[in-house]
Amino acid sequence: MSLVAEAFVSQIAAAEPWPENATLYQQLKGEQILLSDNAASLAVQAFLQMCNLPIKVVCRANAEYMSPSGKVPFIHVGNQVVSELGPIVQFVKAKGHSLSDGLDEVQKAEMKAYMELVNNMLLTAELYLQWCDEATVGEITHARYGSPYPWPLNHILAYQKQWEVRRKMKAIGWGKKTLDQVLEDVDQCCQALSQRLGTQPYFFNKQPTELDALVFGHLYTILTTQLTSDELSEKVKNYSNLLAFCRRIEQHYFEDRGKGLRLLLLTNLERIYLKSRSIKNRPNGSVKMAYLRRTYRE
Amino acid sequence: MAAPLELSCWGGGWGLPSVHSESLVVMAYAKFSGAPLKVNVIDNTWRGSRGDVPILTTEDNIVSQPAKILNFLRKQKYNADYELSARQGADTLAYIALLEEKLLPAVLHTFWVENDNYFTVTKPWFASRIPFPLSLILPGRMSKGALNRILLTRGEPPLYHLQEVEAQIYRDAKECLNLLSHRLGTSQFFFGDMPSTLDAYVFGFLAPLYKVRFPKVQLQEHLKQLSNLCRFCDDILNSYFRHSLGGKLAPLQLSFICVEYLHILLGLYKQNSLLIEEVCALSLNAGL
Repeated sequence: MSLVAEAFVSQIAAAEPWPENATLYQQLKGEQILLSDNAASLAVQAFLQMCNLPIKVVCRANAEYMSPSGKVPFIHVGNQVVSELGPIVQFVKAKGHSLSDGLDEVQKAEMKAYMELVNNMLLTAELYLQWCDEATVGEITHARYGSPYPWPLNHILAYQKQWEVRRKMKAIGWGKKTLDQVLEDVDQCCQALSQRLGTQPYFFNKQPTELDALVFGHLYTILTTQLTSDELSEKVKNYSNLLAFCRRIEQHYFEDRGKGLRLLLLTNLERIYLKSRSIKNRPNGSVKMAYLRRTYRE
Repeated sequence: MAAPLELSCWGGGWGLPSVHSESLVVMAYAKFSGAPLKVNVIDNTWRGSRGDVPILTTEDNIVSQPAKILNFLRKQKYNADYELSARQGADTLAYIALLEEKLLPAVLHTFWVENDNYFTVTKPWFASRIPFPLSLILPGRMSKGALNRILLTRGEPPLYHLQEVEAQIYRDAKECLNLLSHRLGTSQFFFGDMPSTLDAYVFGFLAPLYKVRFPKVQLQEHLKQLSNLCRFCDDILNSYFRHSLGGKLAPLQLSFICVEYLHILLGLYKQNSLLIEEVCALSLNAGL
């Protein structure tokens, strides 16, 4: 959108209060949505919960194409459609709700810097793992991405998306990285987040901000998504304060509000059970079964 | 370490030791941490490679990207972050990510994509430092790489259009510069009195933007209004890079300075004494 159009939209946004029927669109939960999109969607949901704004989650197979910028999730509020966390935060701010008003300039700079860190490292690592790691691509991503479409469209779309993501990885210099290097980057990022969080309940002490929502979205998704190997979630599990942080936000903003992210963080017993029914033993037809074992109660 | 560390990188101009951001980051870090680095400037002979610059060569290792080079130097005990706390180290990573996501697209656009700038300044400069047949190809390839990077990271698939993203990336870059300025405040470096990795990165990204003279300068104008960032760049140039500049003054730089002097002298009738200070500052910078 051009700058003039954006200014116009935010004027209109400021005029109306938040409606009751605001909806958030994402891809199909059980069968289609991928790790990175799920993380983004959860981050937006967490942010809206933190602002106390009601939102209804609707799953559509073509959510990616409906979105104005090509990225999920997007929200449909009144007459406007806004996608991605950054613009959504600004849109919500134009309506008069903001989580970061109490921060001074230096803290706002820090918050934006950490949000970029998460986008730069965690999100890119998730995309790399999904689309550039052969094992994951073959077993999980291709099947999930094209699952709502008939043959041959499912293969074509999946290959097209893979080509696009690989181009982007090459352009930013991640094309030549190995999986181990990517996991090391994830570890560094988690270490930085853990050190910044320290023993505080949220990143900026008492009140959560959009940074907390974003970090929660990514970490929770990484911890609860089952991939071909556990290395990614192991990296996050090394940091106990990040685990406690995710638990705290889940409890406070999802369970208590009755929005129930029903599957809580995997306990040891569940992990042993899952390992014994490893993915490789499943027949091919069961790929469409829920990889993400949680359901959102709407 | 006994083994000599050699860095090959793009050369300097306009008062900078190097015009290329990544090379400048590595050079600045080496100065801050005291690493003895022998700098081989790429010129238009066929010696040395031009891809993936800057490249650090030791006896048995070749390391290529700035992040990897800095890691290598730290392992060799040249560590500029020794006194930082864990949280400051985390802040460093976060701010570097901010620079790469928000500022880098606009810097790439100013240098490589904006037609006026590219054809009058960047392309001739790089072409003069690349041997003949390659000088027709390589700058074009670097420009396409920059455009690609901007579009793939900021554009909207499947039709990538530059016009849609131009306004957005410049807005983001200005916001990033404001954030850096707030964070720097009035202190000399980002973390106290000693420069660290973050200072090297910020210097590497800002100094070319600040010093290189372009026809289309909207981002440069914005940067010049943030006086603490300009002061930051000038301080580092004066304290750490004076000797490498003062010795040999390229003819091009000398002619720029002569033109500046004439310009100032002609204007001296109308201007006040501030100009005399400018002249003194200019001559100090040139090391005369």
